[in-house]
Amino acid sequence: MGMACASPDRSRGCAVSAQRTNPRGLPGAKERVHHDAMRSRTPKFAALTTIRGRDILRVRAFGVELASVWHSGLVCHTGFFVHSRFSRFAMKSKGLFRELARIIGEDGVLWRQEDLMLYEYDALSSVRQPDVVVFPRKTEHVVQIAKLALRHDLPLVARGAGTGLSGGSVATEGGILLVFSRMKRILEIDLENQRARVQPGVVNLDLSLAVADAGYYFAPDPSSQKACTIGGNVAENSGGPHTLAYGVTTNHVLALEVVLPDGEVIHTGASHWDRPGYDLTGVFVGSEGTLGIITEATVRLSRKPEAVKTLLAIYDQVVGATRTVAAITARGITPAALEMMDGFCLRAVEEATHAGYPMDCAAVLLIEVEGLKEAVEEHADEIEAVCRENQAREVRRAKSAEERDLLWKGRKTAFGALGRISPNYYVQDGVIPRTRLPEMLEFIGSIEKKFDLHIGNIFHAGDGNLHPLIMYDERNREQTARVGKAAREIIMRCVEMGGSITGEHGVGLEKSDLMPLIFSAVDLELMGRIKNLFNPQGRLNPGKLLPTGKMCGELRGGLAGGGPV
Amino acid sequence: MTLAVDSLRADLAALVGPSHVLVDPAACAAFSVDGKIPDCVVAPSTAEQVAAVLRYSSEHHLALIPRGKGTKLSMGNPPRRYDVALSLGELKRVIHYEPADLTISVEAGMTFGKFQNLVGQSGLWLPLDPRGGAEASIGGIIAANAAGPLRQGFGGPRDMVLGLKIATTDGKIAKTGGRVVKNVAGYDLGKLLTGSFGTLGVIVEASLKLFPKPPERATFAMRAGTLGIARDLRRSILRSPLDALRLVLLDSPATALLDVSAQAQEHTGPELWIELGGSHRVIERCAFELRRLASAVGAPLVRVEGAEKAWEHVSNLAHWLQQKYRDVTVVKAALPVVASEEFLSRAQQEADAERIALASFAQVGVGIVHVCTLQETLNASVAGLVARLRQAATDLGGTLVIEHCPVDLKGHVDVWGAGGDDLDAMRKMKLSWDPNEVLSPGRFVGGI
Repeated sequence: MGMACASPDRSRGCAVSAQRTNPRGLPGAKERVHHDAMRSRTPKFAALTTIRGRDILRVRAFGVELASVWHSGLVCHTGFFVHSRFSRFAMKSKGLFRELARIIGEDGVLWRQEDLMLYEYDALSSVRQPDVVVFPRKTEHVVQIAKLALRHDLPLVARGAGTGLSGGSVATEGGILLVFSRMKRILEIDLENQRARVQPGVVNLDLSLAVADAGYYFAPDPSSQKACTIGGNVAENSGGPHTLAYGVTTNHVLALEVVLPDGEVIHTGASHWDRPGYDLTGVFVGSEGTLGIITEATVRLSRKPEAVKTLLAIYDQVVGATRTVAAITARGITPAALEMMDGFCLRAVEEATHAGYPMDCAAVLLIEVEGLKEAVEEHADEIEAVCRENQAREVRRAKSAEERDLLWKGRKTAFGALGRISPNYYVQDGVIPRTRLPEMLEFIGSIEKKFDLHIGNIFHAGDGNLHPLIMYDERNREQTARVGKAAREIIMRCVEMGGSITGEHGVGLEKSDLMPLIFSAVDLELMGRIKNLFNPQGRLNPGKLLPTGKMCGELRGGLAGGGPV
Repeated sequence: MTLAVDSLRADLAALVGPSHVLVDPAACAAFSVDGKIPDCVVAPSTAEQVAAVLRYSSEHHLALIPRGKGTKLSMGNPPRRYDVALSLGELKRVIHYEPADLTISVEAGMTFGKFQNLVGQSGLWLPLDPRGGAEASIGGIIAANAAGPLRQGFGGPRDMVLGLKIATTDGKIAKTGGRVVKNVAGYDLGKLLTGSFGTLGVIVEASLKLFPKPPERATFAMRAGTLGIARDLRRSILRSPLDALRLVLLDSPATALLDVSAQAQEHTGPELWIELGGSHRVIERCAFELRRLASAVGAPLVRVEGAEKAWEHVSNLAHWLQQKYRDVTVVKAALPVVASEEFLSRAQQEADAERIALASFAQVGVGIVHVCTLQETLNASVAGLVARLRQAATDLGGTLVIEHCPVDLKGHVDVWGAGGDDLDAMRKMKLSWDPNEVLSPGRFVGGI
């Protein structure tokens, strides 16, 4: 992160937060762990500086004079704050708080230091606190808050559950953080049209559960689906293991209600197909909260398949697993999901979840096929044959729904499991053409050796979406520096192979300065034009998605990793 | 247009080579749009040349209409101005193709037929049946987001575009998206360009997601007899585990026109056609399931042999019907799925009142209904009919556009209908991409 270079003490805080196994972003035990860990593991002086820094900021917000003395000290230690608009806010804070409270009530505004602390990070990292957190309950609240932010020239950042892995929902420049946890109503379920209209704070899995008995579900299934919100999914264009067959969020969103930074409300798309005009829905999905604030979404519901089969193919050589991936698609089969985990990750997962994964293998593929039962049987048989042709030692089939759930639980909680064995890890989200997987695995192996690091591999293999996890201990400065270099070489290799820097986690804060690796100045200028159209002052989620050129260091967003994918 | 044709030709020839510029009026007439004939036709052979032509046009305030094969150009309001036809037919190279990755990058002018032949050799396809069929160009299909009945099973071009290269009016070439199947880096401008009808930039190259072709496909017809039974069938099929590739409700005139004679016989009333894909065993299971669903509502079921030709017609209605009915008008209502049958019933009532013969082709699983007036010469009452059909679609929560009609009708009815509260954002979008109104001015929604 930018702060990593400017502010060593804060970066330590970030890295600590990266270990959280559940990135729900809700107040509670996890945060205590986070802060306790920060206190216990940070040199006393540095911790003191940081914490004092916060105190001082709060004090300043309420105009106590003492603050300014310490403020200059703070700027030295955390260069980040130099750019913040905080002071502007502080000057007006009392009046602003009153105005916000008038809009949504006092119980809808958080402004105390200890409350704001809980909103300073997402699953990527801890960056800085918003100046105030608000909990709108309806679109009109968002409109009023947007207008207020416009009047006072304040940054405006939207946040769902804070499970994002690219720093998309952290208020890098402070300002107003809109948290959608009180806009969580499912407004309409229309099964015959296979549509649902939801508020942005609806939890992904809750929507699927709401229609499960009728035989439907919401297809995008990020691993954080028990916590993450549909608003966040829309903003980040989230993926998940089952995107291989069903596509990512954008393929399942039909219409949006969006509040623009000046408070104007627009409705894009329609609940039916082919509404005439530009596909603005498609532009807002994945725009990471930098173009508008989504206050309602109409999404597609999918019908549950008649049959599902889950296979676990076990390999003694990683290369067999990677070769199997392209061999399956070459047979004309598109599995619903095709995941790979290497032995290193598996052992961690197995110890944490006891899902029945083998402890002694080099890699497994977790493969799921869905559809008519005849098709599923045929495909499962064919896939099994392909696995064996590629030297799978064993191919197991889940015999029951429970067994299947357990296998998936192992996969979806894998990142958390790794948190048990390494103080820190850095996760990447590069994408390559799936035929290059064997080559890529070999390359990652060579990087491991070259930089003397442990790298675990958990991939959405069917999509060629890689999540290499680089283990490290942030207290070891020298090792941490090696991680940055290794990560950069891996992402460069993805780009050379014709791939992308992010398949589903988003660019956010973490990768905005990597954008020039895959986009030319012309491409970026065009994107900048789109941003200027909707967000001309850059107050909406500042510092995200597009390169800012402000940051230093190799990997902006630094070394932090966190929740599940 | 401020330039004399001669200097226009000379300038463009300098950009793309003299043999790639036409000014002969007879030749230009073949590139007319809504009766307007351009002064000049230019056919660049590289993306850079396309960009150069765009910059030139922008600097000289020329109006330009990009085209692939022109199969969908009857869609849109008449252009406000039209100086240059930009033909992309020369851009037809394969840039990158790796069958095992199920991805391909091709230039925009490649025809859909050639494209399908190429990927078909590896057992793959782009599961689209767009208007224009094999003749259509890849760029045109994307620019029009042209999805046919296969949308039921696979979605539309919007869901298959992985990345685009776009020539912009300031003479640059920009990229959006990429070549890999999963990618969330940057704004998804591919979605914006898909379906923008050539009004923002010119698509010069596309990377697309390919799919394995089903080993077998089969079409079944269910003779519903009434719209009520057709609706019940549609409901039970969509609730069943069957994954239809295509699902279309045909009214009696439509089945008669398709003339799948062995089966058509004396039968009247709507028929529901469904296409399914998979192995032999899977298709047998589907047939069993369908028979059960059809007999539950008393609808006879037959397997349609040689349905491919019929499907081609259904996805290319204007082209097909024009051969019999010169002044055919094709409108497309996009509706909530539940409203398809209701719309058909209202359309029939309105047409009966006006004594206009119709044929309807309804993709009832996705709520897309095509209504075609079967006329050799345009009848004055068609404008009123279209307006009332649009009202019916709006009442039912949908929209209606004219996909094809005689130019005269366009003087009376807007092709796209009214915009929503995002029209202003769309106008700003247009302005930022094309400040000098070079690209297809006036052809799109809200006069864009």
